[in-house]
Amino acid sequence: MKSLDKQFKEVYEANYTKVNRLCLGYTNGDAMLSKDLTQDVFIKVWQHLDSFRNESNITTWIYRIAVNTCLLELRKKKPVRLSNHLNHIEASTENQNNDKELEINKLYHCIGRLKPENKSIILLELEGVPQKEIAEITGLSHETIRVRIYRIKKELTKCVRK
Amino acid sequence: MTTFEDLKSQWKNQPQQDIPSDGSESILKKLSGIKRKQIITNVILGATVLILIVFFTYIEAYNSGLISFALSLMIGSLLVRIGIEYFSIKKLKAIDITLSASVFSKNMVSYYKKRIRIHYIATPIIILAYCIGFVLMLPSFEKHLSSGFYTYIVFSSIIILVVMVFFIGKQIKKELSILKEISN
Repeated sequence: MKSLDKQFKEVYEANYTKVNRLCLGYTNGDAMLSKDLTQDVFIKVWQHLDSFRNESNITTWIYRIAVNTCLLELRKKKPVRLSNHLNHIEASTENQNNDKELEINKLYHCIGRLKPENKSIILLELEGVPQKEIAEITGLSHETIRVRIYRIKKELTKCVRK
Repeated sequence: MTTFEDLKSQWKNQPQQDIPSDGSESILKKLSGIKRKQIITNVILGATVLILIVFFTYIEAYNSGLISFALSLMIGSLLVRIGIEYFSIKKLKAIDITLSASVFSKNMVSYYKKRIRIHYIATPIIILAYCIGFVLMLPSFEKHLSSGFYTYIVFSSIIILVVMVFFIGKQIKKELSILKEISN
């Protein structure tokens, strides 16, 4: 039991930032909501940690839990207003210039306009997850992921340029 | 001109929230809170059933066919409702969140479709059975209780019924909207 606690602590510390950033993508950058979601994800990680069989990379396994948790929980919670993200940026990066704030805000806005499945795919791509693993996380074929990423990238860059 | 690689770099370089210093400990604490809540729920359900059975024997309902039938309808419908909710929660928890998003989504859609079927078929039958049981009990209430208390029971039961139907309706609406979202 003690070793499971220790393993969880290591997994938590190694993956918190990645999961939190993914959750921010689902919540239009709402820091409070994404913090709650990240906590929900790690509660589920703990509940299933003893069933993890090392068949896949632990980060891929955690991403699978994170994607499922974010998609499900956000349907239950109230819609997120994009303006909340501005508060998050103001609070955390006083020295950042306004352009950078606007850019990331626009990126959140454009991600927020995507369909849920496409949102998951592009968030994982932005995180630098290999396409083979994105296929494993979403349950779609590698070929479908390849085609979808190409289309979403075009859609996203077009939206951000507007 | 912004390229996807620029977006990727913006994404990775965005301000990060710090890892909570007591993060993993607070999650373990929250987990023990969840376990405690589950135990409390089980105790409350058990106590409800026990109280109903004690009440049934206390008023010797088994001596009168009609009262016995009416009370059985009321208690039975309540127990069926509690049972349905209990097994639904158990089934929801059994859905494996570590599976791929498409399989998980399919399982959730199937779960909520079953829930909607329960709401449209079982719930009205349960409410109707409870109401029939209550109406059948009314002559007995009128006979054994003071007129003031009898009037109170009749009116409060109508209010309880309206509130119950309102909350069940709200729950159905919420689950329908979740199903609609997941199915998309």
